Amino acid sequence: MLNSESSPLVHAEQVEKVYAQAGHMPVRALDDITLRVEPGEFTAVAGPSGSGKTTLLNLIGGLDQPTAGRVTVAGQDLGDLSRSALAAFRLNNLGFIFQAFNLIPVLTAEENAEFILLLQGISKAERRNRVEQELEELGITSDMMRRRPAKLSGGQQQRVAIARALVARPKLILADEPTGNLDSTSGGRLLDKMRDLNERTGITFLFSTHDPMIIERAKRLVTLRDGRIISDDFR
Amino acid sequence: MFLVIAWRNIWRNSRRSSVLISAVAAGVFSFLGLTAYMGGFSLQWIDASIRLQGGHVLITSQGYYANPIVRNAISDSRVVEHAIADVPGATSMARLQVAGILNSAVQASAVQITGVNPEQERRNSPIPNSLTDGLYIEDPGDGVVMGAVLAEKLQARLGERVVLMINNLNNELASVAVRVAGLYESSSRAMDERVVFLHRQDVQALVGFNDHEVSTVSVFLEREKDVENVAAGLRATLADPSLEVLSWRDRLPMIVSMESMLGLISVLIVVILFAAIGFTLINSFLMVIYERMRELGIMMANGVAPSQIRRLIWLEAGFMVFLGVVLGTALAAGLIAWWSQTGLDLSAFSEGLRSFGADTVVYPRLEGTSVLAGYATVLVMITLAVAWPAWKASRFRVVDALQHT
Repeated sequence: MLNSESSPLVHAEQVEKVYAQAGHMPVRALDDITLRVEPGEFTAVAGPSGSGKTTLLNLIGGLDQPTAGRVTVAGQDLGDLSRSALAAFRLNNLGFIFQAFNLIPVLTAEENAEFILLLQGISKAERRNRVEQELEELGITSDMMRRRPAKLSGGQQQRVAIARALVARPKLILADEPTGNLDSTSGGRLLDKMRDLNERTGITFLFSTHDPMIIERAKRLVTLRDGRIISDDFR
Repeated sequence: MFLVIAWRNIWRNSRRSSVLISAVAAGVFSFLGLTAYMGGFSLQWIDASIRLQGGHVLITSQGYYANPIVRNAISDSRVVEHAIADVPGATSMARLQVAGILNSAVQASAVQITGVNPEQERRNSPIPNSLTDGLYIEDPGDGVVMGAVLAEKLQARLGERVVLMINNLNNELASVAVRVAGLYESSSRAMDERVVFLHRQDVQALVGFNDHEVSTVSVFLEREKDVENVAAGLRATLADPSLEVLSWRDRLPMIVSMESMLGLISVLIVVILFAAIGFTLINSFLMVIYERMRELGIMMANGVAPSQIRRLIWLEAGFMVFLGVVLGTALAAGLIAWWSQTGLDLSAFSEGLRSFGADTVVYPRLEGTSVLAGYATVLVMITLAVAWPAWKASRFRVVDALQHT
């Protein structure tokens, strides 16, 4: 699947991220990171706490800017984009799955999943179709679809979050510790589901994790320590 | 979907939202109540002042208004009254006014003797309906109607004789003894103390005028807003350089100033009122955006643009203000409807109001333009008050917002 000649989906070049706070020593979270992720990968970025994996995902997701270097996703240098253009880029190219599920509490499960499609300007019929299909595939029943996040279990919420990321047909899904708040059974099932989606649809998944279940299922494992890549293994 | 989110967000903290909606409702209620009261007061006061002080349009001989001496009179009131009769909705009232002295058995006082046509006065002047004692004049020789306060000052009782003295056309002292026919109490104490009324023929005889020589012909209109057009029309119709046609705005600059001042006071109160509500909105929405910082971060991460975040905050504020406006308007409309039937009785402050020339019962009145101006103020207020929190929310760094707990 990997082909170093093709254009990468993600290309981080000599990326640095330094957190500087007045009165504190600057913290170098990422140090000279260069990483290419090809379309269709199912990659985990692992490492101990503070190694910089979430920071790296944030930079790739355009949620933060690097101190030095550049990040290109789907051929777009994220540093060239304004706040609004970056929002539009995320909307049309990226999906996010967070450890804390991060659903909008005032929307029902199906509304949460539909929200991004609405922003994309997808027709109502198409929205309904995609949302129902993805939620059903992830085991969310029609009764659960009409519930707000507070009335769903952690596993159900995370499945809705995954559905939200999938319905928009992103090129890349960034998942930051997606199983962190789930028990091992629910976490394992969800990961299998994501792996299955990756194989069936070719959507690229990039995880930040130290969960062995993810590491075990990843086709590529990038390990960070103190902001540097110390290993990059393809399986 | 933003509408749905904004609407549901309001009810997440129903207590805070209710307080905010109530504050807006109270502001709108106060604004409408105050505007209606000021509108009614201003209208009644201006109308009363106009009716007491010469009507909507006053026609005199050239220079009379600046120098009101008796010989400076209109030589034939019939020409003027005929012109007025052709103006739709207009009525006329011709008076002869002369400065004089009123002597009772005990005291004397300088007065303005006003010769009136009782029929015209009944139609246009508030005085015939302001009698506290006695009767209004019907025919020549019926006597004098004077202010109750003047009668008290002169110790002149109803039915007693008093003597009126003037300088006639020949500059000779002329006098007539008349009975006190009636006592009045108008909305102007200054008038009550100074102006006395006799039948016009009695005054014409005293001065030495014929039946058609008068000092002023007043024009009363159904609609105040027609004043300038009617004045201009009469100037053109009469086309007589010996006559002067003055609108009430030309003659009563103090009332014009007071009208502007009342308007300005209303505007100031409204600005202060809505500024206070504006600060409440700013405070509440700053709390809202920091409480929901993480949610806003989720939205931004998922592709919601900064402008859409601002729109969401504005929608939420807009919903609350809309509810407040509807509630405040409904309450104010009910109260104003009731007040406009019963009137708002301010007789506890009657002395102060009378010295101001105002009625003690005010019938609130709301003009559509004032209401629209108020709603426009509310709209501007929300826009300004929510602009800062909305802008701040749209400028959150996504990564910081997502980490906010």
